Amino acid sequence: MKKHFLLLGFLIASFTAGFTTSLSAQTPSKEAVLKVEGEVLKTLSISISDFAKMPHVEANMKDRDGKIQQYSGVPVIEILKQAGVTLGKDLKGENLTKYMLVRASDGYEVLFSLAELDPVFTNRVIILADKKDGKPLENGIGPFRLVVPDENRPARSVHEVSHFIIRFAKE
Amino acid sequence: MQIESHYKKLTLLLVLVAAGIFTAATDISPLYVDPYKLEYPDYFGNRISIPEDNPTTKQGVYLGRMLFYETKLSSSQTISCASCHQQKFAFTDGKAFSSGIDNMRTKRNSMSLANLLWVRNFFWDGRAKGLEDQAKFPLNDPHEMGGYLEKAVKILQQTKEYPPLFREAFGTAEITSDKITKAIAQFERTLISANSNYDKYLRGEYNPTEQELNGMELFMNSPRPEKNIRGANCAQCHGTPKMYMELFHNNGLDTEPKDIGREEFTGMENDRGRFRVATLRNIALTAPYMHDGRFKNLDEVLDHYNEHIKPSKSLSISLKNVSNNLDGEKLGLTANEKSDIISFLKMLTDSTFITDPKFSDPHLKKVTTN
Repeated sequence: MKKHFLLLGFLIASFTAGFTTSLSAQTPSKEAVLKVEGEVLKTLSISISDFAKMPHVEANMKDRDGKIQQYSGVPVIEILKQAGVTLGKDLKGENLTKYMLVRASDGYEVLFSLAELDPVFTNRVIILADKKDGKPLENGIGPFRLVVPDENRPARSVHEVSHFIIRFAKE
Repeated sequence: MQIESHYKKLTLLLVLVAAGIFTAATDISPLYVDPYKLEYPDYFGNRISIPEDNPTTKQGVYLGRMLFYETKLSSSQTISCASCHQQKFAFTDGKAFSSGIDNMRTKRNSMSLANLLWVRNFFWDGRAKGLEDQAKFPLNDPHEMGGYLEKAVKILQQTKEYPPLFREAFGTAEITSDKITKAIAQFERTLISANSNYDKYLRGEYNPTEQELNGMELFMNSPRPEKNIRGANCAQCHGTPKMYMELFHNNGLDTEPKDIGREEFTGMENDRGRFRVATLRNIALTAPYMHDGRFKNLDEVLDHYNEHIKPSKSLSISLKNVSNNLDGEKLGLTANEKSDIISFLKMLTDSTFITDPKFSDPHLKKVTTN
């Protein structure tokens, strides 16, 4: 009889332990997404897996030590087109006072004018990268980082990008 | 004709009586407020945050100052905002964790209230978007001020002094929790610290000592051993004359933090152990340091950044592989360099700020209940 109680106790303890473990396993961290919002026709929230399916291109930039690094990602312009941002033939008049604020998950922010991103104005292709040397970006840099080629300081090649926010410059 | 004229007079009288009754019933008096001039140096920039529905006025700021020092806002009638944010400590309390109404310790170290006009996300984890929102947290917390806000509204309404102050600030004598937090936020926006020796140096009015100058240079520089440039890399996160940036970083305190910091608010694993980059203004007055007050003095803080950074997945990239030695893993500052940096940090003490009567207790204890 005593043995049975012990067995029952053991089973209850195992079940409770298993339940507790599964409870904590059921609250995983949120997955990082890229949000595109502000002066857009359609707000976007792009997951890592959806981003991976978008057509990718390569881009190079120098790191802080001056070494060329090769990244793969999606041209920022293509992401903004999906959100219905005024680009190409629509990037004129007051729309030329619009900017894109890039925000990282640690709060870091930098700014680009829309004309800096549009191939109608520039041949430089700025990408939002999700891979370097074919591998996902490392912690603290990815899952998404901006790659801005041909800049003397990499300060605008933002790590851990979480938001593209399109706004009008207001005086 | 005469009858018509009587009708006109009667109509006019009725309109006036109705307007009078409406005004009395709604307690709306014309609002005459004087804008409060927020004065700060140009080098702070103008990226300030003042919500459109809560402009800073002299009447609002005064009311906010009264409320900031008002113990009637707590359930025990003993705790005010100023209990944990004391002017003499640059609006901190000198403790690792503060005690609220029931002597339960707060979860995190009390933050300095200086130059909040420029802050966009409040608390160590950035969970509150503005000062009005921020003020609700300690007021509603069961252990800090006892979740007493709605009852405090009724108590203040019963006093002689407060209803007129609310009328002057907001146009009606009716007290609401929303007006209380708005007024406190207005007062907090005026807490500007910009008269330290460092400010005087920026204005060309102070000649730093050799130690202070050397400390300043180390503070501002990133180390580049290949170019013989020595630096402590502090300005990477605490740069700009405001001495902070609106960033949330894991500064290597623990590999597995007990307090997961911003992750608790965002649910994102890369926010584990991330806390806001605190302002270094008046830092010599705001010991102990870090979100849990683990460092008793600035020497311990410098030792941490120099020698004890703990690796983790979310460790700030600004603290990885930064060294004054070629292929070094630690920052590698000398004892003299650390001491010089502390000399510079002491330049950030603003004695005007901590003695300014505009920010002091307006002695609310005289308030009486009807």
